Amino acid sequence: MLSDLISENKKHFKDHTELRAQENTTKRVTLLAGNMVSNAQSKKGGVSARVYRGGIYGFASGAEYTRESVKNVLAAATENAIFMDSNIKKGEPPLPRIENAPAKIELQKPIFEDIPQSVLIDYAHALDRLIEKKYKNLSSRTIVADALYKEKLLTVSDGTDSHMFQPRAMVYAWLTAETSDGVPVDLFESFSHVGRFDEFFKKPEALEEQLDKLYAALMDKREGVYANAGLRKCVLHPDLAGMLSHEAVGHTVEADLVLGGSVAAYNLGKQVASELVSMTDFAHTALGKTCPLPVYVDDEGVPAEDAKLIENGILVGYMHNRESARHFGVKPQGNARAFEFSDEPLIRMRNTAILPGKDKLEDLIASVDDGYYLVKTGNGQADSTGEFMFSVDLGYEIKNGKLGKAIRETTISGVAFEMLKTVDMVSDDMAWEISGFCGKKQSMTTSMGGPALRCDMNIGGR
Amino acid sequence: MKDIASYTLEALKRAGADKASCRVASGRKDEFNIEANQFTLMRTVFFDDIHMKALVGGRKGVIIINKSDRASIDEAVKNCVAIARSAEPDECEDIAPLIENKDFDNRSGDGKADMDGLFRRTKEYLENVKEFFPKIIIESFSSHCNIGEAAYVNSNGVCFSQKNESYSFSSMFVGKDGEKSSSFNFGGANLANMNTPFLDSGMHRRLLEESEKSINTKMLDKKFTGKIIVTPACDDMIWGTILQNFLGDRPMIEGTSRWKDALGTSVSDRKLTLRAVPLHENIVGGQRFTIDGFATQNVDFISEGILKSFALSLYGANKTDKPRADTSPYNLEVSAGETSLDEMIKGIDRGILLNRFSGGSPGASGDISGVAKNSFLIENGKITDALQETMISFNILDAIKNISAISKERVNSGASILPWCCFDGITVSGK
Repeated sequence: MLSDLISENKKHFKDHTELRAQENTTKRVTLLAGNMVSNAQSKKGGVSARVYRGGIYGFASGAEYTRESVKNVLAAATENAIFMDSNIKKGEPPLPRIENAPAKIELQKPIFEDIPQSVLIDYAHALDRLIEKKYKNLSSRTIVADALYKEKLLTVSDGTDSHMFQPRAMVYAWLTAETSDGVPVDLFESFSHVGRFDEFFKKPEALEEQLDKLYAALMDKREGVYANAGLRKCVLHPDLAGMLSHEAVGHTVEADLVLGGSVAAYNLGKQVASELVSMTDFAHTALGKTCPLPVYVDDEGVPAEDAKLIENGILVGYMHNRESARHFGVKPQGNARAFEFSDEPLIRMRNTAILPGKDKLEDLIASVDDGYYLVKTGNGQADSTGEFMFSVDLGYEIKNGKLGKAIRETTISGVAFEMLKTVDMVSDDMAWEISGFCGKKQSMTTSMGGPALRCDMNIGGR
Repeated sequence: MKDIASYTLEALKRAGADKASCRVASGRKDEFNIEANQFTLMRTVFFDDIHMKALVGGRKGVIIINKSDRASIDEAVKNCVAIARSAEPDECEDIAPLIENKDFDNRSGDGKADMDGLFRRTKEYLENVKEFFPKIIIESFSSHCNIGEAAYVNSNGVCFSQKNESYSFSSMFVGKDGEKSSSFNFGGANLANMNTPFLDSGMHRRLLEESEKSINTKMLDKKFTGKIIVTPACDDMIWGTILQNFLGDRPMIEGTSRWKDALGTSVSDRKLTLRAVPLHENIVGGQRFTIDGFATQNVDFISEGILKSFALSLYGANKTDKPRADTSPYNLEVSAGETSLDEMIKGIDRGILLNRFSGGSPGASGDISGVAKNSFLIENGKITDALQETMISFNILDAIKNISAISKERVNSGASILPWCCFDGITVSGK
């Protein structure tokens, strides 16, 4: 556990200052067609300081974590802040204080007994053997077993100090098969939990039901047809709705991107989606349950609260850091987060989700005469214009309300605030996706969720 | 640097490794950040990264740490050998043989950071953009100075070191006019020194001009099959995918590469020559030794349409019984063609100039589809409207067999040297 070598410096802070000690540990085992291509551990930690003066930050970090190195990093960050202030002369006042914040939030790791690498190795091999034995028509398979521990100690000139520890465990499985004319097709499934690896991944057989579905879908995809390119009526599986909430809307309402030219700048208070759509970036609790990646305090010392983004189709807010919150005259809600010790906090999503509605998924599908049911996505990207794209790794034709042939890999796109207005059915269930990493300058763990949606979507194909 | 690497190597051998290697990188990175046309941050990062690998009876363990004190190294070494012992043996795991050791000096200057120059060029860039491109908003910009050293040693006696000094910048920007804005675009360059304004590096000025021109866009109303010109700014869509999906370790070991048996055969149009050029005089900061301990070379992957080399590591080569590529696949060069860019555009009845591609990673089949960003319609030999919500779909293996022209002009970004390339038979669809 990280010892506290930072809080004793607080009494010397003159400008707004954040001082953070952090250690990220990653364990990874990768089996590629049964070959162990990765058996690795990474442990990276250190201390960083960020100092705000006159409207510009100075930042510095170093890997060494001693009393002396903390002072050196603090001095280097202060020096950078002074250099920028004296050369740029923005003349901004100090950041507003965070009022009524708890002095400290302590979420230290309980007695956390780390697991040896052999736990991941044994699990990965057992899962690989299960897949090889059971699924006969595969041409290849890849298994990744991952454990990530992140521990942070934060002290700030004002706001809430914190001590956080978050373990995360992930298993990824890629299955590859060949079409009748020898073209490889693949599908991927991820399994992710907050906690120690062996608390969730005990026996591979526990994943068998989901792997059966993945294999069956891959066999469908082997016979897949090209989608008919153009604007089509689509039903999005909850996994795609989660991606929609993160990529298509979430990034456009991050206040730094709003200031950088995002389309959301002119839409606050306006109808940007159908009245059936509401969306929130949850801090730590959603719909009465702890979120997949709970955030209680951010890396600027701001206690985390939910950020409401869309209510009944109206854009009602952005996500902020302390500086953008001052610019827009609102209260910051704890969205400033950094991934590694050497990263500065950026405005990031936490648990971003479209809220469930009242329809049944079966009814959404049954209501489409000619369209697509889009089930799995691999990645997505958003644009300042609100234009977005997701890859579609698995989807099916819908003909006369029934699922038809699988489609080959394709891409869907749209303009978020136009496409969301076409949402006319929202399912009453909801799924969270927490296996991915968001790549806005730094990598970051985020979760995203949503129900199934019926909407119009531009689909690529032939 | 070598002392830390050697200490780690000896500790790995003492702890029980039959074979071992160690890479160390140490230095300092300074950075200026701009957001929404304003300076926001100056950042200094001191780094010490150690990557150690132990082989015990053909079983591999790898540990990465960022501390170079003896206690941290000793603990990591113990752990490295322990996790190796937990692994399954694999006879293809190995370390590089001793061929010739060398110390490389990859610095353009004296190894002292030109921070005054970096700040001056950054400030100048911001002022130039405001003056010459008033409709551009710099969403996010960072300029960097990297000063450091790296070393590689292994238990076969291999020993390399490299001193580095390089500068770089990356900029993400949008064109904006009132409430209308273009798609964001980005560009940047690797630079040996601060002698050149950022605006004049790579194809940056052209990208900013085109972003201003793409604030007002047009939607395609019909689907068509035609030509696309892929600009050097859009390099990853074709060239990066080829390396990742068809030439690298993963597809070759899995056996899913469509080119697994294609060495020496024709895989593309004869106009295409694609190579890795880390040693090219115009590449800044090219790696002088590979991560598995071989001196890097420039390597032809495709020469006049013929597949000449895979991009396999030592392990990948041992696993597939195919030749290794001792190179850095991050520095790519495509040979210039015989057609000027103007002629290329004039030769297109209906097509697209593609500056950026936002799409899914193609699977093993090579099928790829996505949205054309910051891109323009070409009609009757002329660039006309900027496009909105336009999707392109094609198979990458088919596309490189259908190259209709490669430009005489090329762009050197310090990281790659690439021309404009025209592909035929691409499906383009609007709403």
